[in-house]
Amino acid sequence: MTNLARLSRTDWFGPLLATILAVLLIQSLSANFLSAYNIQILLLAIAVNALVAYSQMIIIAIGQMNLSVGAIGGLAAISFAGAMEVWGLPAPLALTFALLIGLGCGALNGVLIRITGISAFVITLATLSIFKGINLGITEAQPFYGIPEGVKRFGGAVLVGPVPWLLVPTLLVTAILWFTLRRLPVGRFILAVGSNDHAAGLSGISVGRTVIIAHAISGLLAAIAGVLVVARLQIGQPSIGDDWLILSFAAPVIGGAILAGGHVSTTATFLGVVIVAIITQALVLFSIDPFLVQVVLGVLILAAVGLNKLRAGAATGGR
Amino acid sequence: MDRSPIFEAVGVQKAFPGVLALKGVNISLLPGSIHALLGENGAGKSTLIKIITGVHQPTAGQLRLDGQAATFGSPRDAIARGIGVVHQERNLFPRFSVAENIHLERLAMSYLRPVDYAALNRAARPWLEALDLDIDPATPVSELSVARMQLVEIAKALSLQSRVLLLDEPTASLTSSETDRLFTILRRLRDDGTSLVFVSHKLEEVQEICDRVTVLRDGANACESRSMEGVDRKQLVQMMIGRSEGAGAWRHRDRRDQPEVLDLAGVDTALGHRDVSLTVRKGEIVGLYGLVGAGRTELAKAIMGQFAVTGGEVRVNGAPVKIRSVAEAIHRHRMGYISEDRKSEGLILQHSVLANAGVPIWRRLAQAMGSLTDGRVRKVASPFLTKLEVKTPSLAQSVGNLSGGNQQKISVAKWLAANVGFLIVDEPSVGIDIKTKAYLHDLLRELADNGTAILLISSEMPEMIALADRIMVMDEYRIRGEVTNSGVYAEISHRIMDRIHDAPQPAA
Repeated sequence: MTNLARLSRTDWFGPLLATILAVLLIQSLSANFLSAYNIQILLLAIAVNALVAYSQMIIIAIGQMNLSVGAIGGLAAISFAGAMEVWGLPAPLALTFALLIGLGCGALNGVLIRITGISAFVITLATLSIFKGINLGITEAQPFYGIPEGVKRFGGAVLVGPVPWLLVPTLLVTAILWFTLRRLPVGRFILAVGSNDHAAGLSGISVGRTVIIAHAISGLLAAIAGVLVVARLQIGQPSIGDDWLILSFAAPVIGGAILAGGHVSTTATFLGVVIVAIITQALVLFSIDPFLVQVVLGVLILAAVGLNKLRAGAATGGR
Repeated sequence: MDRSPIFEAVGVQKAFPGVLALKGVNISLLPGSIHALLGENGAGKSTLIKIITGVHQPTAGQLRLDGQAATFGSPRDAIARGIGVVHQERNLFPRFSVAENIHLERLAMSYLRPVDYAALNRAARPWLEALDLDIDPATPVSELSVARMQLVEIAKALSLQSRVLLLDEPTASLTSSETDRLFTILRRLRDDGTSLVFVSHKLEEVQEICDRVTVLRDGANACESRSMEGVDRKQLVQMMIGRSEGAGAWRHRDRRDQPEVLDLAGVDTALGHRDVSLTVRKGEIVGLYGLVGAGRTELAKAIMGQFAVTGGEVRVNGAPVKIRSVAEAIHRHRMGYISEDRKSEGLILQHSVLANAGVPIWRRLAQAMGSLTDGRVRKVASPFLTKLEVKTPSLAQSVGNLSGGNQQKISVAKWLAANVGFLIVDEPSVGIDIKTKAYLHDLLRELADNGTAILLISSEMPEMIALADRIMVMDEYRIRGEVTNSGVYAEISHRIMDRIHDAPQPAA
């Protein structure tokens, strides 16, 4: 096999190529694209969206879906803001509280799916409504404004050049997730269960526990994303997370994830997020109707799923 | 030779609701032996495998490991006690490396200790070498051939210290040279003291490699753990097929003067049938007999338009036809097919009795704009359901809740309601009790008397002889001959066996 053919079989190669081409194309059309300001906006979007995508990716890995990603993120976000404004908790405690909420919501999803045997689609559709309802009940649809200065500063600070501090937690999570799915038994179990849960059970893996762990991780990641959005917006909006769902599927799928489970790629999902961010940004830059972003996302998902199917066919049928 | 069995099953019974699948079966497995487990579909083979591997628990009887009574609560239990199994379907993780597939068990001890892939690869190598598998343990399983995947599964089973290894149709998807390699390995494992169980429908292979044999028939032992020495293919077939029973209901009918409803002349199919010729006349029951894997169900599906006919001619009611789809077969040519696999192909288990019985006639009953009312379907379908004595609390009951026999009646009823002229019945009595079976036989005879042409596929010789007017014998996707049924069991079974046996054997 030539090196190029080998590269083309990896999940990250295609998205990386697409990213580079997109950057070159857009830059040639609009010199503003790679300005420091634009890059910062891109990175801010990527920081949050990557976590949203990972939150879904880990569930795709076990062959399920989580419709409540946005609802969990929103609930964690207002818990974070509310704990600081109403209870006057210091930011680190409020952060811990919010993350525990996310972890708990995710674990609840997993436990319900496991106990009832009902499909994840239905369970998370129900919990989506429940979590969102709790969110609106607490906030009465009004934002929390009492965000401490420290959190606001973190949300606006840059690390170096155009790189925002907000990107740091995301990059850390990316590294940890990559390591988990590659090297830690728990990550391998998640992929094994997604690939063939019957065989996984026969190999001594506790399928039930693995499903619950995956959902707990998903909830935690959604909560981190929610908290980052609060830091960036500098208010605790009840509507945080409402528009995450499509994106959460788009990026992993662009990154070659198989929706039936058993195969996801952290790095390629990250690149999927980058591609979506670039396209969104380009549409803004060329003053194209922002509603078109939704259309483009939909087309991207269709194209990516089709491409994955072709690749899967080439991998198994081409021998 | 003084060898005590590693594993024994003694008087094992297994009852499922409505059916006694195993009626006290014995098997004993010796170390250093390859034991054939044979039996036609429905003989109880797969139930016995599931009991040995801990999927099912026996209703009565005992399992013994090294002479001690043992119970396997789950497949994991059986694996832990040294019972390995390589299933027909692959139980590997295609994206994982060979080494990880073999040693996943070991990783399952902890959740957070990082995997040391180098150590994993080193640990996998001896198992691969033991099986002559010259592959890098780091290769993803998805890049291997089917034969090699199977060997990886064997390696996995061996790495778990399996002393008993069940191989369920291991050669089903292998080429002959791959099969030879597998056999070399199996012989070596045998010589190292492993007790192997070889489940296969290919009798030549069984004769080649097995030294002991257990045959099941109708959930009981037709022979128990005897030596293969002096047993020839004919005897094996005889044990699998069994002796006369229940052929008394047969009566002579001559339909030679009736018009031909279906006529195949020298038909080849995309599935590999060659030069198949057979005719079914109005009111005639033609049996299509053969061992499992002979290509009978496949022929039925090709007739019904699911797979392409690539040569020869198909005539329906005398006119040459090309049937391109199942819908065309049903609606234009009034053909019906009762699948052997009623759960996944014949019925929609979640749907109501009425909906199931009505599926084939929906198109005919549909009114303007394609609308359809339950009332119209009920009017046509319910007389047949009543006639077949389908026991259901109501027509709205979902089919999944009914017994196997009642499900089978519904799959017959739906074709009666469709008023088909030609019906293929594939293994009609799998999984139903004796009383329902007798009833079903009466029903098929009555259908034929009323003019329906029936092609009956069955692996059960008594059923064949009880129902068919003529029996076509199929082997290796070809028709090997025709036997006119006389209703005399000994004579007909003998003649059928000769047809199968006379088939050109691969050079020994």
